[in-house]
Amino acid sequence: RATSEGQLPGAAAMGTGTPPSPSGTAFEETRLHVFTLDYPHVQIPFEITLWILLASLAKIGFHLYHKLPSIVPESCLLILVGLLLGGIIFGAEEKSPPVMNSDVFFLYLLPPIVLDAGYFMPTRLFFENFGTIFWYAVVGTLWNAIGIGISLYGICQISAFGLTDISLLQNLLFGSLISAVDPVAVLAVFENIHVNEQLYILVFGESLLNDAITVVLYNLFKSFCQMRTIKVIDIFAGIANFFIVGIGGVLIGILLGFVAAFTTRFTHKIRVIEPLFVFLYSYLSYITAEMFHLSGIMAITACAMTMNKYVEENVSQKSYTTIKYFMKMLSSVSETLIFIFMGVSTVGKNHEWNWAFVSFTLLFCLIWRALGVFVLTQIINVFRTIPLTFKDQFIIAYGGLRGAICFSLVFLLPPAVFPRKKLFITAVIVVIFFTVFIQGITIRPLVEFLDVKRSNKKQPAVSEEIYNRFFDHVKTGIEDVCGHWGHNFWRDKFKKFDNKYLRRLLIRENQPKSSIVSLYKKLEIKHAIEMAESGMISKVPSSVSLSDYHEGKIKPLSPTEMENMREILTKNLYQIRHRTMSYNRHSLAADASEKQAKEILIRRRHSLRESLRKTNSLSRDRPVLGSLWDFF
Amino acid sequence: QGSAPATSLLSLAVTSEQIEHLHRRFKQLSQDQLTIRKENFDSIPDLEFNPIRGKIVHAFFDKRNLRQESDGLAEEINFEDFLTIMSYFRPIEMNMDEEQLDRFRKEKLKFLFHMYDSDHDGKITLQEYRNVVEELLSGNPHLEKESARSIADGAMMEAASICVGQMGPDQVYEGITFEDFLKV
Repeated sequence: RATSEGQLPGAAAMGTGTPPSPSGTAFEETRLHVFTLDYPHVQIPFEITLWILLASLAKIGFHLYHKLPSIVPESCLLILVGLLLGGIIFGAEEKSPPVMNSDVFFLYLLPPIVLDAGYFMPTRLFFENFGTIFWYAVVGTLWNAIGIGISLYGICQISAFGLTDISLLQNLLFGSLISAVDPVAVLAVFENIHVNEQLYILVFGESLLNDAITVVLYNLFKSFCQMRTIKVIDIFAGIANFFIVGIGGVLIGILLGFVAAFTTRFTHKIRVIEPLFVFLYSYLSYITAEMFHLSGIMAITACAMTMNKYVEENVSQKSYTTIKYFMKMLSSVSETLIFIFMGVSTVGKNHEWNWAFVSFTLLFCLIWRALGVFVLTQIINVFRTIPLTFKDQFIIAYGGLRGAICFSLVFLLPPAVFPRKKLFITAVIVVIFFTVFIQGITIRPLVEFLDVKRSNKKQPAVSEEIYNRFFDHVKTGIEDVCGHWGHNFWRDKFKKFDNKYLRRLLIRENQPKSSIVSLYKKLEIKHAIEMAESGMISKVPSSVSLSDYHEGKIKPLSPTEMENMREILTKNLYQIRHRTMSYNRHSLAADASEKQAKEILIRRRHSLRESLRKTNSLSRDRPVLGSLWDFF
Repeated sequence: QGSAPATSLLSLAVTSEQIEHLHRRFKQLSQDQLTIRKENFDSIPDLEFNPIRGKIVHAFFDKRNLRQESDGLAEEINFEDFLTIMSYFRPIEMNMDEEQLDRFRKEKLKFLFHMYDSDHDGKITLQEYRNVVEELLSGNPHLEKESARSIADGAMMEAASICVGQMGPDQVYEGITFEDFLKV
């Protein structure tokens, strides 16, 4: 295939002695090539595949020694692998290895990670803490950016360090790109330490929302650096730009999210490509936002959060599983690649070392972050129902990790305007390495030492759901009585609007959904599957008698057989009661007899059968269960 | 007219701003009378859609919540009683110590418990629990009553297993007492 169409076989072809001529009219023909090697033809996809394969193999390698990932987060190990690779390439070719292309990062590697995070974000917790998250993201990042910028400028003024040629604006730009907390790094580190959900959502939400302000500040200062004079109007333009970037991004995301939900309403005939729509629409929202220089991260997050609820009900169970796993796989690959590339790109000649600049950058990053979190928390605690303690504040400050986003942003700086670009690159790399390695490794022991509240992944229980719903209604009711338009009031209003208009429009078979009922059904189904798998059903009379029953050959039973059957049934009923942990059978009411208990059990099985019939995929996959229940 | 004695109110640790706001609201609800009755709650439009409306209104008149010695339901409540009920919903303050915090939490949970326990006998029986779940799910017209009952049964079993652990097949579980409620 490679040698057809007469392309160059020159250097690539092997096993031929005669160089063929381009025109083909030469007097020496080419012989048939028995074996050829044509690398340039497949170079790009080949290299991509090799990189991804290498990254995944590295991941397997880490988990072979099972204690390693719990001490050192994977991100560190991946960067080390990258460093090693970079060193090899550098040693072999004597030139700097391929730097991670910023386009590749922003257009291909970052979206899957943000999509995965946004799709599975606990929306309720996010909106409950939205004020705090927004406060930290916007004001916190501004505080950090300006603080770091100005203090670094102060340091640059000291002529002993040799930094006097870096202007205030350049320092401010540097401050703005290094102050952003990075979602990729936060995810990579927080994933293993399992702090309570509230803390996690605060740090992670901040890392997502601060993209808007980072984009604005970065572009603002970059343009300012290139402009001769700066007028007041430009500053106002900057502020206006912030609102447009943030709100515009979110609007694009929400719009495309609704379109995606609407599309999935009609996909019931072509289930196979349902997952594709989810990915296409989210990616579309990201690149549309990037096209207008709006915040792509906020767009894709908004799209994923909007889409989630409605798509989940429209697509089949299998499509949902596909979406979930494919998303996780993509984001995992992206994350691995990002860290390896960061390691690779570090090696090389892109550096300029200056003790003062680098060390003060690191110092100011830490100081301003800690100060910022402390001051901002004092202010926001006044407005919060559950105030944030010192422990929480410490973890929020310590969890402010920098990562690949500032790395890519620094590579995007135009060298003409920034003659000291290499210095910036070095400083950014030092800060990233410090936060990822030192903070990443030590945060786990610190969390344990400070006894921070951890997330408890317990079994979801129906009674818990009931209490939650009950209390929601109580809170909303009390807010109504007070005449207070609080959080619960707005959430309730949104729910009503959602039920009345949105769900009717976007969901195919719209039935009023109750979280209690769906949780109960889910648990019952899981319960039944567990029981079937644990072999309890096999204690029931053998399959021979089953097949007899099925074919209608019902022989009349003798009294002894009846007795046996009754005995088996009672014994098994008792064992079912005995072994099921959360659904222990007890006499519920004061006068419950054995009969009533059995009746309750049988009634529950009846409703389970109904729910089994309703979910198509389950009944398709487990016909055995259906017929067994029939027998029961 | 209508200004309650400040000293007893302060013991509820509600700020003066909040007291003013609630007082205005009280006057609105009571139509400038000194007391309100159950009928006055009908004038709140949004409360209509709340599935557990009955229980919420009932809670305001429940003598156990009003910290009165007797039992049963009050006919009407004045502003001080109104404030007493509202004070169950005030947020935790930073300067509370462990013991105060614990007492605070218990009070709030007791308020909830009284809402479940409608016959005032100190425990939540299966029938009362079923009643709660039915009310919660009353917004779904498609749901059969039987499903609501089976959900309540399942939840009750969960509670029993948490509170009493493994029980033999002949043991009877009376109902969830307040101690069990705390455990759950």
